[in-house]
Amino acid sequence: MSAHTRLRALWRSLFRKGAVERELDDELTAFVELLTAEKVNSGLAPAAARRAALIEVGGVEQVKEEVRQVRMGTAVESVMRDLKYGVRALLRNPGFATAAMVALALGIGASVAIFSVVNGVLLRPLPYAEPERLVVVLHHGTDPVSPANFADWRRLNSTFERMGAAEYWTPNLTGEEAPESVLALRITGDVLPLLGVRPALGRLFLPEEEDPGRDRAVVLSDGLWHRRFAGDSGVVGRTVALNGEPYTVVGVMPAGFGFAPFWATGAELWAPLALAPRANSRGGNSLRVFARLRAGTTLEAARSDIAGITARLDREFPGSNTDVRIIPLTERVVGNIRPILLVLFGAVGFVLLIACANVAHMLLARAAARQKEVSVRTALGASRARIVRQLLVEGLLLSLGGGAIGLLLAWVAVRGLVAFGPASIPRLDSISLDWTVAAFTLAVSLATGVAFGLAPVWHATRTDLSAALRDRGPAGGGARHHRLRGVLVGSEFALALVLLVGAGLMVRTMAALQRVDPGFRAEGVLSAVVSLAGAPSAAPERRGPFYDELVRQVAALPGVTAASGINHLPIAGDHWGMPFVPEGKPRPRPGEAPTATYRVVMPEYFATMGIPVLRGRDVTAADRLDGPPVVVINQRLAELHWPGEDPIGKRLTLGEGGDGAVWHTVVGVVKNTVRSEWAAPAGEEVFLPLSQNQSLLRGSRAHESYLTLVLRTSGDPAEMAPAVRQMVRSLDRQALVRGVETMAAVVARANAGPRFYLAVFSSFAAIALVLAAVGIYGVMSYAVSLRRLEIGIRLALGADRRDIERMVVGQGMRVAAIGGAVGLLAAFGLTRFMGRLLYGVGVADALTFSAVALALAVVAFGACYLPARRATGIDPLRAIRAE
Amino acid sequence: MGTDRSRLLQGTLDLLILKSLALGEMHGLGISRRIEQLTRGTFQVKPGSLFPALHRMEAAGWLSASWGESSANRKAKYYALTRAGRRQLGSEAAEWRKIVAAMTRALLAT
Repeated sequence: MSAHTRLRALWRSLFRKGAVERELDDELTAFVELLTAEKVNSGLAPAAARRAALIEVGGVEQVKEEVRQVRMGTAVESVMRDLKYGVRALLRNPGFATAAMVALALGIGASVAIFSVVNGVLLRPLPYAEPERLVVVLHHGTDPVSPANFADWRRLNSTFERMGAAEYWTPNLTGEEAPESVLALRITGDVLPLLGVRPALGRLFLPEEEDPGRDRAVVLSDGLWHRRFAGDSGVVGRTVALNGEPYTVVGVMPAGFGFAPFWATGAELWAPLALAPRANSRGGNSLRVFARLRAGTTLEAARSDIAGITARLDREFPGSNTDVRIIPLTERVVGNIRPILLVLFGAVGFVLLIACANVAHMLLARAAARQKEVSVRTALGASRARIVRQLLVEGLLLSLGGGAIGLLLAWVAVRGLVAFGPASIPRLDSISLDWTVAAFTLAVSLATGVAFGLAPVWHATRTDLSAALRDRGPAGGGARHHRLRGVLVGSEFALALVLLVGAGLMVRTMAALQRVDPGFRAEGVLSAVVSLAGAPSAAPERRGPFYDELVRQVAALPGVTAASGINHLPIAGDHWGMPFVPEGKPRPRPGEAPTATYRVVMPEYFATMGIPVLRGRDVTAADRLDGPPVVVINQRLAELHWPGEDPIGKRLTLGEGGDGAVWHTVVGVVKNTVRSEWAAPAGEEVFLPLSQNQSLLRGSRAHESYLTLVLRTSGDPAEMAPAVRQMVRSLDRQALVRGVETMAAVVARANAGPRFYLAVFSSFAAIALVLAAVGIYGVMSYAVSLRRLEIGIRLALGADRRDIERMVVGQGMRVAAIGGAVGLLAAFGLTRFMGRLLYGVGVADALTFSAVALALAVVAFGACYLPARRATGIDPLRAIRAE
Repeated sequence: MGTDRSRLLQGTLDLLILKSLALGEMHGLGISRRIEQLTRGTFQVKPGSLFPALHRMEAAGWLSASWGESSANRKAKYYALTRAGRRQLGSEAAEWRKIVAAMTRALLAT
C-alpha cells in the first residue's frame, strides 16, 4: 500500500467516520444476507435462515467495534511509529540534524525577511483608493512647482479628475502641553478627496477653507490624535494653537493613513493651503502636485495633455514650465529603491539556494551512509513503501524543524530591518512578517527535504540489494550520488562567490565613502534647530538679538569652544537652490541662471564647523543690515564663475538680475562642503550674513523663523544637549528646540544606506561562505571514507602520505575551482545590477574579484585539508580488516 | 480468534486468508467458506475474527477491497491480494513450513 493510500486511510478513519461506518454496515449486512441465502438454499425457511445467520455472526455491533479498533489502531500506530522512528534516526546523528536545520533556518530566515521587505515596500499597493490612477506632476519628476503653474494646469487640463497641491510645513504646536514642532502639510482642498480616503472622525476641508483668513482648519493624523489628544472623540471642533495662531480641528484621519508617501512622509497634520495671495507667482516653487487620472484615461493621454499646456505656458512665460513630468505615484515612491531591493532580493535568493543545496547534499551523504541500513531492511521484508514513508517523515521533520527556526529568525530579522533600515526605504516602518512568503519559503524547504530525503530509496530499488549488502561501500548509486553532491557543492561555491563579490564591492564602497572629505570636521560638533514660530522672540525687532544672545551664551558654556548659527545645516538640513548672476556676465535667459545653495550664517560658522576659509574673511558682526551687502562663496562657485581670477571683491546678485538687483561683494572663499548627499560632487554655495538678511530676521513665514545652532565642544558634544535646551528655554519659554544631534550622527545617517546594504550583504556572504565550506568539508570527508580501503592499501604499499593528501585536496579543490570559475562569470554578469549601491568602485573591480576568489580558495583549501589529514591518518591494517 | 475445535495459532488466520485469496477475489463469507473447505472443516472462522483481520490486512496493504455484485445479485465487498499480499503469502508460507518441519522434527525426536 502506498503512503498515499495509507494517508487516505488515516484521513478517512479520523475525519470521515461516517463514510467508513456506512461501508462497514453495508459489508456486514451483505454478509448476513449472503449467509441467509446460503441457509435458505440448504432448505431452511427464510425466517429461520435469517435467525440462524444472525446467531452465527454473533452480534453485528461487536464485530463492528472490533473492526473499528483494528482500523484506528493500525492507522495511528503506524504514523506514530514512523514519527518516533524518524525522531530517533535524527537524534542518532544530532550533528547532521543540527547542521541541516541550521542551514535551512538561515536560508529561510534571511529570505522570508527580505521577501517581506520587498513585498511591503514594492508590491503592496499604496493605501489609497485605486492608487494606480494617482500621479504626481513635477518638474523633472522630482522638483516642486510654482503656484501659478499649478493653478493653470488645474484649470486647463482635461485628463485629471482632480488635481491638488501640497506644501511642506513645520508649525509649532503649542497649548497646555509642552510646545512641539509638528511635521505637517498645507494642502489644497482636492488633495484628500483625490486620495479617496475618508476621515475616521469629522470631515475633510471645505472649498471655502482655501480662502485666506478662512484657512484655520486642521485635520489630524491618528498618531497625533492619540499622542496629543488621548484619542478623545470630542476633539473635532476644538481649537489648537499652531505657531501661536488658533486652528479648529475639523477631522481625524484613520489609523494607517499617511500622506505624502514620498516626501514629508511623517506628516501628522494637514491644513488648507490658501494659494490666492501667491496665485500669480511663477517663482517660489514650493508645491508638490498630485492628481488622479480620470477613469479610463491613460497616462500617455495625460502626458500629452500636460505637454500641450506646459508648452503654451512656457511660450508665454519663458523658463517657467521646463520639463514637467507626470509620474505614477507608486513609481515616485518606490522607483528609486526598487533596483536596490531587487538586488537584495536576488542575493537572498542565492542564500536560500545555497541552503537548499546544502541540505540536499547532506541528505545525499546520509543516504549513502544509510544505504546499507535500507538494503538490510528491504531484505528483511520491509516494503518499499514503508521505507519511503520512513525517509519522508525524516525529511519532513528536518524541513519543519529548520523552517520553524527559520521563521523565528525571520521574525527577528524583520524587526531588525525595520529598526535599522535606512530612511531611504519608503514604507519600511509598516512592514511585518509576510505569511504568504513564509509559507512559500517553507514549501521550498519542505520540497528540498522530501526530494533529497528520499534519495536512499532510489539506491535501494535501483541497485542490486545483495550487491549493496556484500559490497564494502555504496554500489553504483553511491558514485552517482557522489557526483551529484559534487555538483551541488560546486554550485554552492559559485553562489557564495557571487555573494562575496557583492559584499566585497560594498566594503570597497564603504571605504570610499569613509574617505570622502565632507569639508568640515564633524567630531565635536553639536547641532540643534531652534524654532521661534509663535514665540515672543520671533518679533522682528527681537529676533536678531535673540540669536546673538543665544550664540553668545552657548559659546560661554564651559566645554564649548565655538558656537554659531546657520539656516540649513549641510546634509541634515534642507537645501534651497537660489539663482544668481555674477557681475559682468550677460543676464541669463529666464530659468537659465546658475543656482547656488542658499545658506545664511552667523559669524564664526566656518570656525565652529572646521571649514577652512581659503581666501578673504568670515562674515562678522560688522556686516550690518545698513552696511554694504557681502557674501562668502565656496571654492566650487569661485572656480566655475571666476576661473583663474581672485574672486575677492567681485560681486554677484541673487535672483535673475535685472533692475533693482542687490549686489553682494564677495569677501571670502571657503572650502567645498557636502551638500545633502554624502558623496555627490560639490555644488555652488553662497553664504550670506544673517545680520544682513531681512527675511530670516523679520519674515513671518514658518520657514523664516528657525535657525540651526552649531557648537564645537572640547568633550563629547552629545553631553551639551541638555545645557543647550536649558539655555534656549531660559531665553524664551515658547522657543522650541528640535533635532538636537551631533554632527557625527548626521554624517552616520548620511551613510546609513550603504552601511545597511553592507551589513546585509556581509551577513549573506558570511552565511554562504560557511555553508559552502561545510559543504565541501562534508563531501571530502565522505570521499575519504569511501576510499578508506584504497587509501589504506596505497599506504600499505608505501605511498607517500603527502601524495595522498595532495590527491584528496586536489579532488576537493577541483570542485571548488569549477564552482568558483562559474561564480566569477556569474558575478561579472550580475554585479552591474549593483551599480546604484556602489560608490568609488567599479562593478568589475579587479581587486574585489581577486580578493574574493583568493579568500574562497583559502577556505576551500582548509575545508579539504582536514579530511585529507584524516585520510593519511588511516591505519592500513585496520582499514583493510574493517572490510 | 478461534473455533470450537482448534485455536488458530497467531498469524495462522492471516496465512489462511492470504491463501484463500490466492486464486482470486472473494467476499467475506466466501473467504470463510473457502477456509473451511481448504482445511476440511478444521477451522471455522467467525465474523468476529474474520472482519477485524480483513480490515487490518487491508490497512497493512496486503489486501485491496472493492464493492461488487455477488452471485445472488447482492452487493458485497470483495477482497483481493495486492502485490505486497502475494509477497506476504510467500514469506509466511515459507515461515510456516519451517515451523512445521521444526516442530515435526522436535516431536519425532526420541
